[in-house]
Amino acid sequence: MEFDWSQDDIQHRNDIRAFLQQELPENWEDMSQHGPGGDSQAAFSRTFCARMAEKGWLTQHWPTEYGGRDCEPWRHSIVGEELWAIGEPRGSQYMNVNWIGPAIMTYGSAAQKHFHLPKISCGQVLWCQGFSEPEAGSDLAALRTRAEKIGDHYVINGSKIWTSYCNHADFIFLLVRTDPQSSRHRGISVLLVPMDTPGIDVREIPSVVGERYFHEVFFTDATVPTSVLLGPENNGWDVVNYALQFERIGAARYARAAVTLDKLAEVAAERGMLDDPIIVDRLGEARALCEAARLLVYKVIDIRAKDRPPTADTQLARVLSTTCDNAIGRLALDICGPESLEYASFADTNFRLAMTAGIAVGATEVQLNLIASRFLDLPKD
Amino acid sequence: MNFELSEDQQAILEAIDRLLTQHAGPARAIELNRQGRYDDVLHHALDEAGFSTIASDLATANGPAGLEAALIVEAIARAGGVVASAAQLLVAPAVSKHRIAGPIALCTLDNLAKPVPVRFAAHAKTLLVLGTGEVHVIPLTVGEMEPVRSSFGYPMGRLAEANRFFDLSTAGESLGTEAAQAMSNWWRLALAVDAVGTMDAALQHTVAYLKQRRQFGRTIGSFQAIQHRLSLCAIQVEASRWLAREAAYHGAQAEAAAAAAAFALHAADQVFTETHQMSGAIGFTCEFDLHVWSMRLLALRQELGGVGGARRALVETRWGESAQ
Repeated sequence: MEFDWSQDDIQHRNDIRAFLQQELPENWEDMSQHGPGGDSQAAFSRTFCARMAEKGWLTQHWPTEYGGRDCEPWRHSIVGEELWAIGEPRGSQYMNVNWIGPAIMTYGSAAQKHFHLPKISCGQVLWCQGFSEPEAGSDLAALRTRAEKIGDHYVINGSKIWTSYCNHADFIFLLVRTDPQSSRHRGISVLLVPMDTPGIDVREIPSVVGERYFHEVFFTDATVPTSVLLGPENNGWDVVNYALQFERIGAARYARAAVTLDKLAEVAAERGMLDDPIIVDRLGEARALCEAARLLVYKVIDIRAKDRPPTADTQLARVLSTTCDNAIGRLALDICGPESLEYASFADTNFRLAMTAGIAVGATEVQLNLIASRFLDLPKD
Repeated sequence: MNFELSEDQQAILEAIDRLLTQHAGPARAIELNRQGRYDDVLHHALDEAGFSTIASDLATANGPAGLEAALIVEAIARAGGVVASAAQLLVAPAVSKHRIAGPIALCTLDNLAKPVPVRFAAHAKTLLVLGTGEVHVIPLTVGEMEPVRSSFGYPMGRLAEANRFFDLSTAGESLGTEAAQAMSNWWRLALAVDAVGTMDAALQHTVAYLKQRRQFGRTIGSFQAIQHRLSLCAIQVEASRWLAREAAYHGAQAEAAAAAAAFALHAADQVFTETHQMSGAIGFTCEFDLHVWSMRLLALRQELGGVGGARRALVETRWGESAQ
């Protein structure tokens, strides 16, 4: 057990910071206020990720045969921390490199790997995830979107909801039911569907979180070749479980929360609020939370770095990251006061982006169920 | 980065666990608490096996061996050991290069000016007193500290009535600012480490009980209302554990030690409240072991300004310049 970064890792973090100084436009703060799915951020992500790819950093944790450098997950976590902390200039492409690419590597056919992985590793493609449905939220296994196999095609009918990033996406990582007689976890498959397939209709769901944050995606006789099937037909549940282990801690929420908190402490000092013991107490509590969330995420990265099977540590890390993000989002409102009521103000932006944390990628209550059964071994009946 | 024990660390933990199986555990803690006694047998066993000096022995030019010492203290706390191991293994080596005679009790000047119960003070051979910019290392003789009855799981003592006008300038050695900073940091870390082992045991004990206790025709631990709260406690304990271990590894730097204490002492309250609530009435009894750990959690929260003190220290170290 030891908690040091290697000299190479420290150098890498410095290199990333220098790179960000150089590459981010002057109006980056404005650009990133809608989150990774915002129009300008999505457009910028294609330029930015291409530059990351040129440096060899975008998919450095991937195996060399897929365009990576075989770097340890620790190295990739440094990239995740530094980029998420300043508002994620990779836009939605953080998902590509974190879990969509690895899922294709693990379950994809040779043709799928050949087609998709180079696009991801050069930073030129945007993906979204088609998981939740109106009747399948936390209970994902209740999904109904149907893909009927007709000859060598699937005909997709149904709808997805709460989908982020799909207004700009080139592909959707789509969960469908391929066996109409099945229920729950069986009979589900993953399809890698081009978003320009006729019969796909995207509608924004206006929300208080931000512009173009949530969408519905409707499939009306959308027809795709069976070659878009990822992994075995009707066994997509395994594929998605594998993918979600990466996704649940994919966004380094604690890193952004820590940067936000540093700015909040500055604001509090400028306004003489550090004389208020309640503010000091909340700042201290929040800082400890950021550090705690960071370490639980590191524990998961350590398991991944050793190529061990995922454990419930992922859920522990996810829940605490959510707690941390939300606590700092609310503290921002209280320290910045009435000015935070203006849309896109510093506190407002941070608060809005934090508020979905407890729902995204499986509600906190689902994570707690998993901790109870897998970490504490508590009985079900 | 490596979150798994090295072979050496594994060997140390196996050795301490063997020793604790023989000399510690809740039954022994209950017996000693009932008599208001310190565990001299365990203390000597730790000394003889070399655990009391492990931090100094393992320290290298690259820094203190705080992590190994912290792992041992965590294990002793988990076993409910009635020994002042955190002060001996974590605080004393950081305050002075010279061996300080144990048992060691830790307190602040305020704790002497207005005498309050101090953990292990009635049995300590040395009192480390944290003042403003200095540490007083005070050898104690029998009778200077009087035992205090307490429900909070540790043998307590306070400055005896006859010694209320204790003269620190003549009472012992005085160490400077560096020692004071070291004592403050390592004491905070020690509180976090003690809290981790203690919370861990309290939670495990409760989980085991809730897996077998049946009400309404099913085990209590199968109710989702209980499972979620236990899961939240588990998150608190695990996060406290890794904060304390990382801070120990890096030599209890002020910010990391304060973060570890701030988090763990806050978690201690939650774990106390939840483990007692879920254990029901049996949880209040002496025959049920929970109190061995649970009551201690509240005692730890009384030292060095508790949660609020740790959070203040964290804010001052991280944003001190902004704060001024």
